[in-house]
Amino acid sequence: MAINLPETDVVVVGLGAAGGVAVLPLTRAGLQVIGLEAGTWMNPAQDYKADEIHNNVRALVTTGNKVGREVPTFRNTPDQVARQAARHPMMNAVGGTSIHYHAQSWRLNPWDFRIHSSTIERYGAGYLPEGSTVEDWPVSYNEMEPYYDSIEYEVGVSGKAGNIQGRIDPAGNIFEGPRQREYPMPPLRSCDYLDLMTQTAKDIGFHPYRGPAAINSQPYEGRPGCAFHGYCDRGGCHIRAKSSTDVTTIPKAQATGNLSVVDNANVRRIECDNTGKVTGVTYLRDGETYFQPARAVLLGCYTYENIRMLLLSRSPFHPDGLGNNRGQVGRHYFGHWDAQAGVGVSALFPFDLNIWYGAIAQGVMVDDWADDNFDHSGMGFIGGASLHAYTEKHPIGAAGMNTFGRTGRRWGSEWKSFIRENAGRWTSAYVQTTTLPYNNTWADLDPDVTDPFGDPVLRITSGPKPNEPLAAAHAAGKMIEWFRAAGAIEVTGGQGGNGPALSTHAHGGTRMGLNPDTSVVDAFGFVHDAPNLGLIGGSVMGTAGARNPTQTLQALAWRTAQHLADNWDTRTA
Amino acid sequence: MNYKNKPALDAGVSDTTNTPTTISRRSLLQTGISAGSASLLPLIATSSCSLPAPGPPAVLDTGIAVTLAAFSNRVVPADANGPAAADCGVVAYINRSLAEWNQAEVALVTAGLQSLDAAASSRFNQGFAQLTESQQDELMLAMEAGTLENFANAQQVFNRLHRLTLEGMFSDPYYGGNANYAGWDLIGYPGAVLGSTAEMQQMGGRLPALHTSAYGEEHDGH
Repeated sequence: MAINLPETDVVVVGLGAAGGVAVLPLTRAGLQVIGLEAGTWMNPAQDYKADEIHNNVRALVTTGNKVGREVPTFRNTPDQVARQAARHPMMNAVGGTSIHYHAQSWRLNPWDFRIHSSTIERYGAGYLPEGSTVEDWPVSYNEMEPYYDSIEYEVGVSGKAGNIQGRIDPAGNIFEGPRQREYPMPPLRSCDYLDLMTQTAKDIGFHPYRGPAAINSQPYEGRPGCAFHGYCDRGGCHIRAKSSTDVTTIPKAQATGNLSVVDNANVRRIECDNTGKVTGVTYLRDGETYFQPARAVLLGCYTYENIRMLLLSRSPFHPDGLGNNRGQVGRHYFGHWDAQAGVGVSALFPFDLNIWYGAIAQGVMVDDWADDNFDHSGMGFIGGASLHAYTEKHPIGAAGMNTFGRTGRRWGSEWKSFIRENAGRWTSAYVQTTTLPYNNTWADLDPDVTDPFGDPVLRITSGPKPNEPLAAAHAAGKMIEWFRAAGAIEVTGGQGGNGPALSTHAHGGTRMGLNPDTSVVDAFGFVHDAPNLGLIGGSVMGTAGARNPTQTLQALAWRTAQHLADNWDTRTA
Repeated sequence: MNYKNKPALDAGVSDTTNTPTTISRRSLLQTGISAGSASLLPLIATSSCSLPAPGPPAVLDTGIAVTLAAFSNRVVPADANGPAAADCGVVAYINRSLAEWNQAEVALVTAGLQSLDAAASSRFNQGFAQLTESQQDELMLAMEAGTLENFANAQQVFNRLHRLTLEGMFSDPYYGGNANYAGWDLIGYPGAVLGSTAEMQQMGGRLPALHTSAYGEEHDGH
């Protein structure tokens, strides 16, 4: 029997990148918020190490008890039996995966919000990829701009603007949408390798710029600037220079006095009344089951658990799962076409790059071959990819390098001599590609595999996609050209095969839209037939841009939370 | 400028099972010396290979550890570019990984090394560690290609042992491998630091070695 707790205004489920942001506008509006987090607080000085075994082999900053129990299964086609992946890509902690992510922090391009109509306008309806369920987002870039701005200033993002209110500055990204003001901090420092890549890009007619990062480039709001120790990837920041939500928006929300953080809380169900309205959540903590009543709930788990939580939360009004009366929960799911999909380019230089230290987000970008920044007529695909050259190299990974066919074996004296010379001379670049939803790709509950409570885990089915490999291959070719012009003596690239299995950039599954027949949440992120339940996180995003999703899902979370506060009476009526 | 990290972790798991047999296993694992391989004996006197702290319980028995040492020494052999893997504590690292966070692979590694020994016996009438280097290479090439008889998962075992050898050779010496920073010196990684300056990202040759562990001087393998 669940222990009934006193009612609160809002329960936020999950205090990661999305939930950790949403609590701030809610608490500032005076609402009483309870944040239920499956993990607990990390201790930056003790828990984070400049150690590849700690971060990348043992994955000690990328795990959690809850995600480890509910790893989704994966298959490419419905005739296959889905297999459970070895590891969940996310972690449980206050701050969530914003603790160990690379912290590349982007706005999407204005084109991303209206791919469907823009493609028809520029290239004709026949140019829309076959089998894709892509729609325009129910929100435009201009509507998102104030929320992007809030994230950049409240979380703390370093970068260089390329378009302030229509004034183009070639020191920034000339292709970006207009922003109201400059970033709160300049970009992370450059280095010789990035200077080389920047100058080379200019020489071959590209438009390089320093990538934005949710990492302090200088002291900001009481936190220091980045120390560039080179263990940002899958590691937390020992000095709190990375703007994870546990050191930014969550402490600010706590300072209002209106946020109560409940750690080690495993939310099992979202409860509904017989009108479909949400009444609260049931969670497990230290062996006890609690019911936490709330006037409104924001579900801010990772994409996989947002989908699963809705499907598991059945009631007479929502017999097939919360918000699933039209069968849309789990539809329009997809993983980003990025390095996890096998997309990327590696290069070998004839000199030491000295990029051992730094950070993945210490990088130089090119957007010339992304989005709709070039004419796609006759090319047979839409969208494209950003190109990202970066620093941070770990010794085991460096020694395990691709030998580019220059040595016969990957072991023995000849190989040892090869890596002695070349382990510090190779690097890779990211080619993150526009990714669309398709009919052949979705998430549902696995019929056979359960978590220890007997609840089914999520099952991913991800079929082949016609557009993404073409867009990736085109951009990868440009990355190869860039590397060669910079002096690389060997270059190799991939366009991705079947796409990613489980992804750290999982999108969709509770897509936002205007039409309840093709989406789960409305234009503000609330479930169409459960008006006091908001979804926050990548699960509401209908398309993936040529860049990391976090800042966009944070801006959306802020917007959903602000909408709830501004429309409290109607949303909770 | 002081790039060195402050000591942050305790010594790790202590061994409370000091029976005579585990002592002998541990001494082998700590030194990483393949006692059965006569060709490697001269290296004993010239290498300093102790674990920085009391190690975990020995997972691999002596015979298996000898085979593993011989395997890893063909992945990273002793030559003009530096010492061999086992002489840098790679066997101690792999033992620690199997004892602590990689327990799921104990059976794969143990059975795999037994299969490699069986293949050596069947082809050359001796254990793998007793073979000449060229005989060992012949077997490892076949193992890597997955063509060894009676060794169905040879390729998988090869890939994992190869990977574990690299982990031991190039990880922080805190874990028992990379003794005297031989692995990091080989590839030019200066050392673990809490922060870097712009100078430490300058091109124009190799950076000077720092020989620093993320876990402080008492854990850095010296």
